Formats: sequence, structure tokens, C-alpha cells
Amino acid sequence: MIDAVERVTGRIRFSQDASLPGMLHAAAVRSVVPHGRIARVDTAAALEVPGVVAVVTGEDLRRLPGLRPVYGPQIEDQPVVALDRVRYVGDIVALVAAETPRAAQEAAALVTVEYEELPAVFDPLDALEPGAPLLHELEPERPHEGTALYFGIRPQFGTNCCNLFRIRRGDVARGFAEADLVLEETFRTPAIQHVAMEPHAALALWEDGRLTVWSGTQTPFNTRQILAGIFGLPVERVRVVVPPMGGSYGCKVFPRIEPQAALLAYVTGRPVKFVLRRDEEFVTLTRHATVVTIRLGLKRDGRITAREVRAYWNTGAYADCGPDVARKGGFGIVGPYRIPNVAVDSRCVYTNLPPAGAFRGYAVTQATWASESMMDLAADALGLDPLEFRLRNLLRDGETFATGETLHDVHFAECLERAAAAIGWEGPQRRELGDGRVRAKGLAVVMKGMTTPSRSEAKVGVDRSGQVTVYSSTVELGQGARTVLAQLAAEALGVPYQQVRVVDPDTDRTPFDNRTTSSRSTYMMGNAVRQAALALRERLLLAAAQRLEVEPADLELVDGNVRVAGAPASALTFGQLVEATGQEELVEHGEFRNQGGLDPDTGQGIASSHWHQGAGAVEVEVDTRTGKVTILHAHASVYAGQVVNWHTAELQNLGCIVFGVGSALFEELVYDQGQLVNPNLSDYLIPSFLDLPERMTHDLIERPGAEIHGLGETALPPIPAAVGNAVARAIGARVTELPLTPERVLRAIRARDGERG
Amino acid sequence: MAEFAVVEPATVDEVLDLLARYGEEAKPVAGGTWLALVLRQGLLWPSLLVSLRRVSGLAGITVDEVGNLRLGAMTRLRSIETSPLVWERLPVVAETYREVANVRVRYQATVGGNLCDADYASDPPALLTALDARVIAVSQRRWRAIPVRDFILGHYQTVLEPDELVTEVVVPALPPDAGAVYVKYRTRSHEDRPCIGVAAVVVPDAEGRLARAEVVVGAVAERPQRLPEVLDAVRGRALDDASIGEVAERYAAGIDPLSDLRGSAWYRSEMIRVFVERALRAARERAQWEGRQP
Ligand SMILES: Cc1cc2nc3c(=O)[nH]c(=O)nc-3n(C[C@H](O)[C@H](O)[C@H](O)COP(=O)(O)OP(=O)(O)OC[C@H]3O[C@@H](n4cnc5c(N)ncnc54)[C@H](O)[C@@H]3O)c2cc1C
Repeated sequence: MIDAVERVTGRIRFSQDASLPGMLHAAAVRSVVPHGRIARVDTAAALEVPGVVAVVTGEDLRRLPGLRPVYGPQIEDQPVVALDRVRYVGDIVALVAAETPRAAQEAAALVTVEYEELPAVFDPLDALEPGAPLLHELEPERPHEGTALYFGIRPQFGTNCCNLFRIRRGDVARGFAEADLVLEETFRTPAIQHVAMEPHAALALWEDGRLTVWSGTQTPFNTRQILAGIFGLPVERVRVVVPPMGGSYGCKVFPRIEPQAALLAYVTGRPVKFVLRRDEEFVTLTRHATVVTIRLGLKRDGRITAREVRAYWNTGAYADCGPDVARKGGFGIVGPYRIPNVAVDSRCVYTNLPPAGAFRGYAVTQATWASESMMDLAADALGLDPLEFRLRNLLRDGETFATGETLHDVHFAECLERAAAAIGWEGPQRRELGDGRVRAKGLAVVMKGMTTPSRSEAKVGVDRSGQVTVYSSTVELGQGARTVLAQLAAEALGVPYQQVRVVDPDTDRTPFDNRTTSSRSTYMMGNAVRQAALALRERLLLAAAQRLEVEPADLELVDGNVRVAGAPASALTFGQLVEATGQEELVEHGEFRNQGGLDPDTGQGIASSHWHQGAGAVEVEVDTRTGKVTILHAHASVYAGQVVNWHTAELQNLGCIVFGVGSALFEELVYDQGQLVNPNLSDYLIPSFLDLPERMTHDLIERPGAEIHGLGETALPPIPAAVGNAVARAIGARVTELPLTPERVLRAIRARDGERG
Repeated sequence: MAEFAVVEPATVDEVLDLLARYGEEAKPVAGGTWLALVLRQGLLWPSLLVSLRRVSGLAGITVDEVGNLRLGAMTRLRSIETSPLVWERLPVVAETYREVANVRVRYQATVGGNLCDADYASDPPALLTALDARVIAVSQRRWRAIPVRDFILGHYQTVLEPDELVTEVVVPALPPDAGAVYVKYRTRSHEDRPCIGVAAVVVPDAEGRLARAEVVVGAVAERPQRLPEVLDAVRGRALDDASIGEVAERYAAGIDPLSDLRGSAWYRSEMIRVFVERALRAARERAQWEGRQP
């Protein structure tokens, strides 16, 4: 990585390090009730605290002219500060700005709020019952579409369902009628948290009627647009700058604290910095908890005749990008299989819990947990080997997916076979070691779409000193984006990539990009950078050809020089060529788009312009006396098409496995009446090095001439499902709910034996 | 976080003077790993923090004339786990401290702090109870040696008075033929606190019967659990699978466990049976029974 030394020596300036002279510090007052009307907010004591400059409540917000007090990327439902109602424990009721972080925190603790409690609902199925308390009153005639919406959204008005996405293909009734066997099962996953090492951090400044925000965000352009919407400004008067982040994993997708920092800066006229505490991180964004019921129709020979899915995504108090999560999960949950009759109803549901949104794997981890567990249940019911059963049904090149789109460059079977081979699937799949210890193996396949449609632009320039610079709005969150984009530019221009500069995203300086999500950047932005760099190469070749009086075809680019092939003495440096044009910097522009979209009522169309494909395989040991699961070996096979940087690509695969281990075995946010029970890292545990499988292996599958395929998430979703399948094989009973805690596993063993826990 | 002053006295006498004068208002700070969390959460509001960092004579590992292992209150957990003396005299003590938290915490947390925070989900208290260790507590009023067994009263509560300072923990030696183990069971990450921890000590007599048996179960209730009537019942018997099973059964039946994120009460009861059995088997493995078949 080009910034590895800066990273390990602590010299990188993260968003948390941003500062300005005279800056104030923000703190939030948060709701302690899951649902209630705000009866009274008393800020008097807080305002007395030395150093406090402002305390802003919903009342104050409402009185500010020209402000739109609510925002949201897909549904504008979230107030900058609660206006009259709180909807979850942790909702922001007031904001404080003070000279020091400590004064701000102290003052926030002194704000007293009286609530009239309202009935609350926490489970998505309860929330859809008639008579359930409504979180929001979405109305057809009121605009509910956020600016980051790129698909049709179908709220079920008068209910807590903020999006219903459907797939209708073939005729499931006929499919079930034709089946020899029909299976049905319900699977659950809990809310979990991203636990990025660096918390959310933003710094806002108003200057000459212009708003500038430095923020660790994966979505600079969406954030700019949403801030402009709140403050009633043209987007040109908002600037978002993104320093490198200390991790994100989806929690910094879409505005999270930028509106609040900007509001305080607006009110006080001073720069304001807002950094969340760890316990606040836990109530700011989570991964959707899910309930998924799958019905599967099967022929004795292993063909699948029909699949019906009802999926519920618990999006918490505010929609955030939940509507899209329900949509992506809605088609992700079908799985990469040949199924003539498919019906999916995927609902995004409001509850009185912290908002859920993007999380590495984006809906597909939960979807794969359900669908790949179901595939093993089906294989067992048919008496088929799980590998063989999958291979018979996996989609092949040129076949049609449930959305009606034809798939190309398809490698599911290859990924699965390689994963199976890696853990020795051919050998015994289950072994008893004595003392109640059993070893077993499990598999899972994954199919994940990439944001479609979307667009990335890039500029690549070279200046009079010969410095090559990439201008791109892809953010660096530790994944190595800068390195990979530098490499792609360097390759086209014949310079060492370590000498390429990649500037931080800055909506004033770097061109448009949808966002750094969906494992899209190396492919989408990579192509834009490559195009721009190739155009710059052409320009340098032409300029040199004129000056050296040769044909461009006779020239080559080596180490920052354009020289005549075979006559290295005849050369011009990039800097000389730029100088000769009279300009400071020669800059070329590149753009890359993908196209598609789905009909929200039938799910037909193009879900993804290409597909992230992979498989996971694990061997586990279960102590059947305690229920404790140890993952001995985890393998991930990922289709990469073309690997740009082996080092960072490998780290993505390994990182995904680590995330998978946490999801599979113990990560879970636990709520008691809407109150988070484990908002710290002693009570909410993530994997440590000692929790990693003894063996972690992976494949990156390439094909000559293939497109780059993103791989930041692909290896994660199959891991929990493969672990679940291995555990089921080991104990002869299935745990349908994540995580696979020893207690759940032991209860499943006891239930198998007909005992009650 | 509340406002407080921090002082760094150099001697035990100075500390005792401060504790006597400030009473409940003062809190000693050892490693600070527990205190920092509760101060931040606003669960304690001392006005004076008495740092023990510079107090001379509080850290160190020695063996006294009667063979007791003496662990100074300010000894870091990591020092115990890396001490050749402890490995030589009472390896089970080193093994147990090695299982605590993670290496970062162990570099900071101390023997005294670990006992004084009286967290139910700690590891060393169960072992120290089984080994019949004593806590030495001093104040301007008196000097006391409190058996660890009596030291912890309940959740975050010890018998210590606000003016008392723990100076050391004294662990008696075990007979050379004894077998002692601590088995820690985690249900989540390897860095987690225990769902259950079982300390077992068995000492054979000349006939190969149990001269002494100790089983203490930690982290399942508000203080380490020891069932004397069960232990009395097996004394003098052979430590065969049947008597191990009986002890495990009776411990599982005799303890009323709590529920937390690491396991429900039902699950903990099940695990008491499993881990009392495993601990006793492991202790039996370690004890010297040669030529003493009952
Ligand atoms: C992340 C994490 C994980 C942990 N996991 C485990 C685990 O798995 N197993 C386990 O056993 N423990 C675990 N612990 C607890 C840890 O081992 C320490 O016991 C604990 O944090 C306190 O040790 P300390 O020395 O830092 O005490 P401090 O925080 O300094 O003090 C704790 C309390 O004891 C009092 N005190 C300290 N020393 C004295 C003294 N000499 N005389 C009188 N009073 C005194 C203090 O006033 C305070 O009230 C964990 C802690 C953390 C932070």
C-alpha cells in the first residue's frame, strides 16, 4: 500500500484529526425512551456550564427559517434533532456546542427531557400487525424519496413497511404443485455493529455562506446533496472533503453526524467538530436484523421447482438505506440457482430500535444465511450430497436469473468446487473424535450484486514537475483504494505507482462518483481512472511525437519519460512536455457507467451489471457437551476476474473471513425493551486474533481478459452459512438463528434428543 | 466524568492516612482498568483518586519462610504469568492469570485490583478460594488476613472498609502430590470473561483416597461458589469417575446460577456439571497417585 508507512507510524491524518482554529466541540443529548413525545426540554443548567456556546433543541430547529429539518438518503424521515417525538433509545434530542469536548459532554448530561411515552415495537413482524404503533406517517402525496434513491420504492402506506420489493417469475403455485417435496423453514439474524476502529468524525465550517464539511464518509456526493437540501442551498455552496478513514464497513455510508455538526456550526457561527463515543457508535447504525421464511419445492432428482420467500428487514427508527437493503436482499435471497418459479416479498420495516443500514455484505450475509441453510436442508431431505445438489442447480454461463437477466462470466460452480476441495470435501464429512467432540464440514455459495445503475468519473493529470496525480472521489477507508487507483494510472502511464499522488476526495476538486460502496470502486472507478490515464497517455504521445518528429507508434512511456523505442537517448520527460504546452498541468477526464434497474413490483430487469461470485467452505469441531463451535479451517473462493493488487485483494478475502467468524459465532446486539444491553467492547465482542480459525485459506480466481470484479465483501456472506451447515452436519440438528452460540447449539442437540431446555 | 483530584503517594503509610481522612470519598487506583470504566460511566464519584503506582513495596512476588507464595497487591497479572518462581512453586496460579482478559489488560491490571473490584465474572477469585489464599488488608486501625473465600461478598462488594488497603495476597503451598487446575470456559471471544470457571484441587492420601478436595465455581453467581457438604462427602473416597460424576451432579444441582450475555441460568447449570467434571478429571491427572491404588 502506498500509505502503509504513514499508517503504521501514525502519521495519517484521519477525519478524527481534522481541526480548525476556534473550533467548538459537539455532544448529543439522547433519548432514554424507545418511543415518546417530547413534553419538555430544559437546557438552563446545560447553558450554565462554563464553555458552553449553544444548546440546540427541536424547538430551536423548527424556528430557524429556511431549513428543512429532516433528511434521509432514501426516505426523508430523520430529523437533524428530534422535533416533537423520539423513536429509539439513542435518538438525538438536543445538541450542545462548547469550547472543549468535556464541557460539551458535561452540559449534555445536564439537559433534562420529559417524555410522554408511547407504545413501542421492536420486532418487524409485530410492527406489521394491525394496530401496531406507527413510527412514521408516510403519505403518498408527501415526497418521501431521498436524493440517493435510484430505484422504485414502495412504502405500504399506513403501516410500518417503508419498502416492499417483490419478485414474480413463473408461477409458484404451479411450481409447488409439481414438486415431490415441499420444505419450509424460518431463519433469523440479529442486529450487529460495524465496530470500525475510528468512530464517526466530522468538522463543519460556514464561511461566506458556504458550508464545508470534513468528514469520514463513504458518500461525499450524497452527503453534499443532503446537506444542501437541509440548508436550502445549491449543491455548489456545499463542499465535502474526505480524509482517510480508520475503517468503516458501511457505517459511514450516507450522512450520519454531518447534518448535526453543520447545524451547530450554522447556529454558532464557529467551526464545530463532532466525534462519536464508542457507546454512541452502537446506537448510530447497525446491520439489519432479519426474519426470513423460505418455501422450496423440489423434485426427487434434485431439481428445484419453486421458491417462495418472505423476508423482513428490521430497519429501526429511520429508513436510512434500508429500502435498498430490502431490495438487494430480495434478489440476493434467491441464490444463484436455476428456479423456474420464484416469488419474493421483501419488506423493510420500521421499529423502535437504532437505525440499520449498510454493512459489509449489504443484505447478502443475512440472505445467504437463510438461503444456503435451506439448500442444505433440501439436500438432506433428498438424500443428496450438498455439493452435488448445488452443482446440479447452480446457474451456468448464459442462463437466466430470477430477475430475467442473462448472466455472463459465471463461475459459481468453479468457486464452490474449489472451496470444497480446499477443505477436503471428498474425505469424510463427519468424524467423531470421542469425548463428545465431532468434526464436520459445510459449504455455501454467494451471489452479490453491485450498485446498478451508477457512475464514476476520474481525472488524471501530470504537471510541470512530472508529478502524476489521480483526482478521484473514491474514499480511502483502509481498503487500499489509493494504492489500486495509483496502480491503474501508473500502468497506463509507465511510471512507478509509488510516485503517483492520489488526492483525497473533495467535492470542489475531485469529480463525481456515486459512492465508495458495493465493492464497486476498483471496477467502476478503476475503469474511469484507466480511461483518463490512457487519454493522458495519448496526449503525451502526440505531444512528444510532434517534438521528436516521429510517429506516436514509435514511442514508449518509461519511468516518466516519453522516448523513442530502441533509442532511449531521444526522450522527453513528462514535465518537459507539460511545460511545452504552456499549461501548469495536463489533465484528462474519464467516466464509467453501468446500466440497469429492476421493476419493484415484479423484480424483473437488470439487478446488477455484473455479479460478485464466491463460495465458502469450513471444517468445524463441535463439543457436543457444551455446544461450543471451533472453526478449524475456513476457505473462501472468490471470482476476481482480474486481480489488480494481490496483496490488498488477499487481505480483503481474509478480512471477510474474520467478519464472517464474528457473525457466525458471537456478534449480536442485545436489546431489552429497546435499550441496548451491550454498548461497549467488553459486552459486545468482535473476533480477536485468538478466535481465528487455525487455517484460513482462500482463492482469487482470474480469467485472462476478464473484467475486474470487486471483492471487498464477497467472501463474508458464505462464512456464517457454511459454519451453520457444518454444525448441522456435526450435530444432526439445525440452528436457524445466528449467532451459533454454544447455548443455541446445545439446545438444538437437546431438542434433537427430545429433551426440553 | 466527575471532578476529582489525583495524588501519588510514595508509602503505604501515606496511603493509609489519606484513606482514613477521606473515607468513601477516596478510591485507590491500581491498574485503573476497572476504575476508569466505572468513572466514565458515572457509577462512582470519588473526589480523590489515590494512585498506588509509586507506592513502594506493593509489587513483587516472593516465597516466605513457610513456603507461601506472596503476591504483592500491585503485581501486574502479566508479571505472574511470566514469573519463573510462580511456575516453579504453583504453576496453576500462573496458568490462571494467563487466562485473564487479553495481554494488554494483563500488562496493566493488578492482583489487588482484580480481587477488589469483585466482579462476579473474574477468574482468579475461584482459584484463590480453592487454594485457601488470604488477602492481607491494612489500615491505621488494624491489620487483617481475610480468606479470599470470605473476601468477596457479592456483586462489586468486598468486606473491605473504605480506609483499608490490600497489600498482598498469600497463597499457601500445595503438597507435592496434589493436583490443581483452573478451567476457564468462554462462550464468545477468546478475550471474553468466563461464562464459568472451575478451580479444582485434589490431594491423595497414602492409600490413594482423597485426603482433600476443593472445587470452586466462579462466574456463575455473585461470588465464587463452594459446596462444603459435597466436598466433605467425597473426602476419604477414591477419585473414580463415579465420585467425580457425583460431585459434578451435586454442584450443578446445588448452585443457583445467574443469567447474562455469556449464558442463561439453564445453560450455566449444564456447564457446571460439564466443567466440574472436566476440572476434577484434569486435577486427577495432575495429582500423584503412583502406587497408591485404593
Ligand atoms: C477488557 C477487560 C477484560 C477483562 N477480562 C477479565 C477476565 O477475563 N477475567 C478476569 O478475572 N478479569 C478480567 N478483567 C478484569 C481485570 O483483570 C482487572 O481485575 C480489573 O480490570 C481491575 O484491575 P486493576 O488493577 O486495573 O484495578 P483498578 O481498576 O485500579 O481498581 C479496581 C477496584 O479495586 C480497588 N483497589 C485496587 N487495588 C486496591 C488495593 N490494593 N486495596 C484496596 N482497593 C484496591 C480500586 O479502588 C477499585 O475500586 C477484565 C478487564 C477488562 C478491562
